[in-house]
Amino acid sequence: MAAADSPSAALRRDLCSRGIRLAGKMRADVVDLLDAYVEQQGLDASASVAAVEGVPLAAVERWDEQTGTQRLLENLAAYRAFRALLAQMLEEQREQLGEAEAGLGRALAALLLQVSAFAYHLEELLRLENRGIPGEEEEEEDGPPPPPRLSLFEQKLRGLGVLRELAQWAVRSVRDLRQLAKPSPATAAAPGLAESP
Amino acid sequence: MCSRWSWVACAFYLVLNICSPDASSGLVQSCGHIIPESPVLALGSNFTALCILNESCLDFGNIYASQIIWKIKNKLVPKEQYREINRTVSSVTFNDTSSLATPLTCNILADGQIEQNIYGITVTVGLAPEKPKNLSCIVHQMSRLTYVMTCTWNPGRHTFLDTQFRLRYSWPEEIFPDCIPRDVNNSCTVTDIQFFVNTEIWVEATNALGKAESDPLVVDPIDIVKPLSPQNVSVSSGILPTVLQLSWENWISDAVMTLKFNIRYRIVGDTNWMEVPSEDTASPRTSFSVQGLRPYTEYVFSIRCMKEDGVGYWSDWSEEKTGITTEDQPSKGPPIWRIIDATHSPTSWTVHLIWKALKPFEANGVILQYEVTVRDKLSPSSPVRKYNVTGTNHTLQLPEGTYEVTLIARNSVGASPPSVLLIPASNSKAPVKNLRTLPKHDKLWVGWTAPNSYVLKYVIEWCLVSSSSDCIIEWQIALGDVQGVDLKGIKPFKCYLITVYPLYADGQGSGQSVKAYLKQDRPSKGPTVQTKKVGKAEAVLTWNHLTVEEQNGFIRNYTILYKTIDGNETVVTVDPSKTEYTLSSLTSDTLYTVRMMASTDNGSRTGPDFTFTTQKFGKGEIEAIVVPVCLAFLLIVLLGVLFCFNKRDLIKKHIWPIVPDPSKSNIAQWSPQVPAKHNFNSKDQMYPEGSFTDVSVVEIEADDKKSFSEQDLKPFDLLKKEKSTSEGHSSGIGGSSCMSSPRQSVSDSDEGETTQNTSSTVQYSTVVLNGYRDQTPLQVFSRSESTQPLLDSEERSEDHSGGADSTTQRQQYFRQNGGQDETNTDRPCFERTKQITHDNEGDLVGFVQLQISGQSSQPLGLGMEKNIQEAALSSVIQTCTEGQTERPETVEENPLSVDEMPKSYLPQTVRQGGYMPQ
Repeated sequence: MAAADSPSAALRRDLCSRGIRLAGKMRADVVDLLDAYVEQQGLDASASVAAVEGVPLAAVERWDEQTGTQRLLENLAAYRAFRALLAQMLEEQREQLGEAEAGLGRALAALLLQVSAFAYHLEELLRLENRGIPGEEEEEEDGPPPPPRLSLFEQKLRGLGVLRELAQWAVRSVRDLRQLAKPSPATAAAPGLAESP
Repeated sequence: MCSRWSWVACAFYLVLNICSPDASSGLVQSCGHIIPESPVLALGSNFTALCILNESCLDFGNIYASQIIWKIKNKLVPKEQYREINRTVSSVTFNDTSSLATPLTCNILADGQIEQNIYGITVTVGLAPEKPKNLSCIVHQMSRLTYVMTCTWNPGRHTFLDTQFRLRYSWPEEIFPDCIPRDVNNSCTVTDIQFFVNTEIWVEATNALGKAESDPLVVDPIDIVKPLSPQNVSVSSGILPTVLQLSWENWISDAVMTLKFNIRYRIVGDTNWMEVPSEDTASPRTSFSVQGLRPYTEYVFSIRCMKEDGVGYWSDWSEEKTGITTEDQPSKGPPIWRIIDATHSPTSWTVHLIWKALKPFEANGVILQYEVTVRDKLSPSSPVRKYNVTGTNHTLQLPEGTYEVTLIARNSVGASPPSVLLIPASNSKAPVKNLRTLPKHDKLWVGWTAPNSYVLKYVIEWCLVSSSSDCIIEWQIALGDVQGVDLKGIKPFKCYLITVYPLYADGQGSGQSVKAYLKQDRPSKGPTVQTKKVGKAEAVLTWNHLTVEEQNGFIRNYTILYKTIDGNETVVTVDPSKTEYTLSSLTSDTLYTVRMMASTDNGSRTGPDFTFTTQKFGKGEIEAIVVPVCLAFLLIVLLGVLFCFNKRDLIKKHIWPIVPDPSKSNIAQWSPQVPAKHNFNSKDQMYPEGSFTDVSVVEIEADDKKSFSEQDLKPFDLLKKEKSTSEGHSSGIGGSSCMSSPRQSVSDSDEGETTQNTSSTVQYSTVVLNGYRDQTPLQVFSRSESTQPLLDSEERSEDHSGGADSTTQRQQYFRQNGGQDETNTDRPCFERTKQITHDNEGDLVGFVQLQISGQSSQPLGLGMEKNIQEAALSSVIQTCTEGQTERPETVEENPLSVDEMPKSYLPQTVRQGGYMPQ
């Protein structure tokens, strides 16, 4: 109880709360952006898109058995990936549509900022967990090479896939952070569960 | 000489240096320069500048640093601030840069006379920026998805320099573009805002003298949001008449923030807002049911929102929307009162039932009608009267009695509880006591002490007292447990008559009245005073009361101010109930100015001046003087009358001299005795018809003068005396005898003659008989204008008779009493005369003849002197009933006769009625 009232606990709770609301807003913005994106890119909203390369899937088995740190790390990895993809999409968007679609570009930029902010939240939470934060550069070096140059249509489809996956991740992140924000027994039990397998 | 030429060369060189083009340094090559070049200096700091001369100038112009002078904007800098560093460098030091100005110039004073500018710099003095303070930010929602953040701060003191402010914000891993204010230095708006991330915000101020940063503000922008107010607010009636349903739309998604709300509402026309308890609207929602409203009342609603946790800012209030609740049955019965008019007949009342329309919150709808029920309390068996009225009054004709009136208001939903008014036969119950009023701002408080009995309620009547119109009664009802009410709608400076009636369960108390003002002022005009009565030392002043409209308050007293023109003013205070006052101890015969002042509690007003003059004499003084004087005068008059009465004979003698009656004279008595001797014909003989019955004729022979005895001459003396006494009254005598005034006689007889003043003229009617013995004597009636007393003439004639005795004339005296008409009657008179003449040829009978020679205007004495013939006194007394008229025919008929009478007075005419000598 005392730990719950400590500054780090309050900061963790505040970060979780803020992260949940940011993820929720991100989810809402992504949904709004998806509609605009489909319309602007001339895509079919019901079009099926294959999994985007480099983006971890939000769907995971035995989600409730994950530890907090594990959730944070998976989220951080995902959002870092989204940040890079969104930055690429924003660049491609500017190249394709120029300043004519400034609204879509601003929405993408805003989404990119939110993704960055959420990644920052995750990093802060990981710091509170006293866990080392994996470096991006190291990750990039170890990660897969940059994706090959895609055609314009493929770029659109990939953008659609990124946004859809981001929407999924926003939902999952809300759930993850809510899980993390629960009182300490849960957090205490989580490592046990994580360790048990 | 050489030196002179060298200076000329120097100046020429300087000009060349300054003006000659130089490819390397531009158009002008200076002989020196100042360092630092155009410095920016902190205000209040010290500053040193150096002027460095070019070596080339030293060689050609003999210019050295010792010749340098410094100037600030053409003002010489004191040489104490100079310092010659070497032969080419001079410095100037300023301890306080506030004394600096632009430009600072370095000049050379060649040969101590010619001043030449070498170089100048611009000096900028200012302050380093202060640390911006009080940084605060707010995020405004501009649309559903658009937010902007506006930050404001205090920029600090003015720096006198171009200072740039920039708003900076960042995330730990993200630095955003700076926000640079436009046109202002204390605020900036950021359009790219991301929520849920703590953002560090600070302000940087930079100018030439330094840079300053504000304390950073770390905030999640979501916590400083001012959302848009709810949109599309609508109000709908609920099922209940006390409920209205509100609904609206939120412009911010729950994903961004959840909201709480404030709902306020007020009745249309009211200015006070009521709020729905905040805990009822602390959760996100888009509708709310407002309860506890009044039925059939229009309400105005407005809503605002903010982040649910209360962190942030409230939105603005939404646009106002109105809604009206449904009707409900009236909550209470209308207040009812009555005015009973029993002036026509004490046993038959005209009852005016009046009631007040229910207030909207009591009516709860539109009142469709009122139901009035009148029940006779004394005879329960009598039928109940019912009336349906749409207005707020009803008039009934009722016999005197005790009645119970019930009133019900009805709207579309239902009826109100009944209002009951008991109308007793008489107000015999106890009245209220100690009725009093007290102004309270714009209300007039009326208070009273309750009677000992239990009072159901009180009725307070009041009306504006006016002198020009009737009292229009207003009224209100107060509950029985109160002992005072506030009357609204009371006008200041107006007099109100307030009456309070206590209503009991079984009757009504008599009313107690009081007059009151909400606010008093001084009277609008002063009384007009005037005097009712003014005496010697007192004056009764009177005036009219001011009308109630002019009073503006209770008249506490009247003040009379009076003074003489140069005296001190005297002040008298008079009771306001009086309209008359007597000023006493006034000075008599003095002009007083008086004016009158009416006073209320709040001031006074003076009426016009009135002036009056006190009387010179007091009451009775004039009478005391006049009455004795009059009495004395009357006494004197009475004494005079008595005296005159006693001396009436004497007075009569003077005023009305005794005219001797010839018939009673001694002569008359005497003349009949000598008819033969003097050839005197008696009248009876001449006028047998009796026309001249009173004429006595005396024929006197001049020659026989001596034959008259002394006794016979006495009557002539008497006549003489009487003539002298009656000289001024001759006309009267003539008039009385012949109705001819002397003036008339003169005017009638002065044809061709000088008009004589007859007032002093003794007119003699003369029958001139003159002629020769052998000729027919000519009879002429002539009137003498002579004033000579007759007897004197006679005496004279007697005196001169001796000289004129050659001519013997007969003188005839006669008195004529016969009336003769002016035209007709004189003719007979004349004819009679002629007849007499003819009948008595040579003798004149009936006329007193006096022959006077010379002009009548001449003194008789002179005439008498010329009278050589005879002088005879003729007395003719004619009595004419219709006046007398001269007969000029007499003269015309006998013109020669007249001419033939030399030295004799011969008037042209002789008129009857002329003065007849006595």
